[in-house]
Amino acid sequence: MSPVGEPRSVPRTVPDGAGLFDLPPELAIDTDVARRVIAEFIRGQLRQAGFERAVVGLSGGIDSALVAYLVADAIGPERLLCLKMPYRTSAASSESDAQAVVERLGCQSALVEISPMVDAYFGVTGTGVAGAAGPEGLTASAVRRGNVMARIRMTVLYDHSVTWGGLVVGTSNKTESLIGYTTLFGDSASALNPIGDLYKSQVRQLAAAVGVPEAIIRKAPSADLWPGQTDEAEAGFTYPELDRLLFWLVDRRRSPEELEAKGFSRERIEWAMHAVAGSEFKRQVAPIAKLGPRTAGVDYLYPRRRPGSART
Amino acid sequence: MQPLRIALAQIAPRLGLLDDNIARHHALIDEARRGGAGLVVFPELGLTGYLLQDLAAEVAMRLDDPRLLRLAAAATGLSAIVSFVEESADHRLFISVALLEEGRVRHVQRKLFLPTYGLFDERRCFAAGDLLRAAPSSLGVGIGLSICEDFWHLGVPQLLALDGAQILVNVSSSPGRDLAALNEVGLGTATSWRTLLRTYAQLTTSFVIFVNRVGVDESISFWGGSEVIAPNGDTLFSAPLYDEGLYFVDADLGDVRRERIALPLLRDERLELTVRELDRIVSERAGQATDPTAEEGAEAGLDVAAR
Repeated sequence: MSPVGEPRSVPRTVPDGAGLFDLPPELAIDTDVARRVIAEFIRGQLRQAGFERAVVGLSGGIDSALVAYLVADAIGPERLLCLKMPYRTSAASSESDAQAVVERLGCQSALVEISPMVDAYFGVTGTGVAGAAGPEGLTASAVRRGNVMARIRMTVLYDHSVTWGGLVVGTSNKTESLIGYTTLFGDSASALNPIGDLYKSQVRQLAAAVGVPEAIIRKAPSADLWPGQTDEAEAGFTYPELDRLLFWLVDRRRSPEELEAKGFSRERIEWAMHAVAGSEFKRQVAPIAKLGPRTAGVDYLYPRRRPGSART
Repeated sequence: MQPLRIALAQIAPRLGLLDDNIARHHALIDEARRGGAGLVVFPELGLTGYLLQDLAAEVAMRLDDPRLLRLAAAATGLSAIVSFVEESADHRLFISVALLEEGRVRHVQRKLFLPTYGLFDERRCFAAGDLLRAAPSSLGVGIGLSICEDFWHLGVPQLLALDGAQILVNVSSSPGRDLAALNEVGLGTATSWRTLLRTYAQLTTSFVIFVNRVGVDESISFWGGSEVIAPNGDTLFSAPLYDEGLYFVDADLGDVRRERIALPLLRDERLELTVRELDRIVSERAGQATDPTAEEGAEAGLDVAAR
């Protein structure tokens, strides 16, 4: 007789990492089940694609740290390559926090400075030396610069995908994906994403459960594009607040009136609904004009992993 | 009555790889027989994988397909319940489950309810079955087969039990979702299913065997948690969530008689009442009879009056 898998008789009431961060009760997840599902997901995706290894871009932030832990847990640290890709204005703590993850996991890592690549395009402000973008590139906005940095990191990751022989694992969470706080073909590009259905608050809960260093869990989330930048200052929201709003709006299908009755302000509800609708294009594959009898994504519908699809 | 040893094949089928999955079924039928099982049950679409989309037509088998017949031929000395894409003579595709016994396909049940909402898109690829029948079996009791979503419709377990089933079997590819913290097993889907299975076993005073797959197709993970519930609603066995395995459970089929004598719910069922009221509701919905519960002024077939 095989052992009986009895359900736990006492439900978990104290979430992991209590005290480290604010976790709205409706967002709390069973982290044991989440780890199990995600590990199977990572192994299944790799196997079906014919890969045994993975590449993760480590920023020093919580999302990529969590993904590195989850991948190491699923396939072993020896099959994981973590890439640190700082720009010269990146916070020094970002690299040291990323290094702490690498050391704790005992995985392979590499450092690729992206400054020469970014500067070759935009030029170097202050020196007046223009880059490939021409003189106008010297005054490019922070958003343009941030997008190019994200896409250069993507380029480096996919190049290492070939040399390391591993799939690129995405690190975008559900909150930033829903509000479109991502760079299309940049940080949102990946072969698989294990945390894309977890809100930031849930990322924190899971990170605490898997043992991501506390310093990484505690620090303010940031795209690290300029000194002192933080996500929450830019959005004008705290993550627990935004996560709750998105959860009730998207997952629980509440109307704006119902959300207001729950205590969310009309202004924030409108902001969130606009952000979600306005970033729909970032979450979907680009549409193809329908002309032939069978069109990919329209009426030619196959699982992406199917017989014959694995790398041989 | 001899105890029946049931083998629950909580497997992770490989998507679209029919030959691999067939080989795995052969191996597990052997293993179940060697383990003394009288019945081995595989999950929904265990022979093909679940998220097939356009692959459905490529892995479909007719009931006279030699690969299916060879699998049936292997089912000697025990009964096997397997699931696959069935292609009918007129080229409709069904999600089907078959009872294999004594070397042949003894009974086939086509999935009746095809979920096409949320993460499901089954109606796009498949036709829905039109027949629901309990089947006699070599086990000496009637068996009622159903597939996943079929068990989310109250009539299905009831009809199967009334039609003579003493063992209700539901084979599933249930995608896990709604990860919850304050919950007995940490997964909303599992909690819902566990409630249904116990309720049906008790209300139909029948054994309920639930076999759900594990593994991953694309984005979705299947949670396993296969179970056997006794006719009084007691849990005989719960397989672990997510672990692949062949799990053996012993069931005393005499429990059906004992429970039905003690709790004669099926005896007391008012079939003519149910049929009469259903006929009335069908007529009212079709606008062929006056609906006494509709709002005043509502047109025939509509419960609500136009304003």
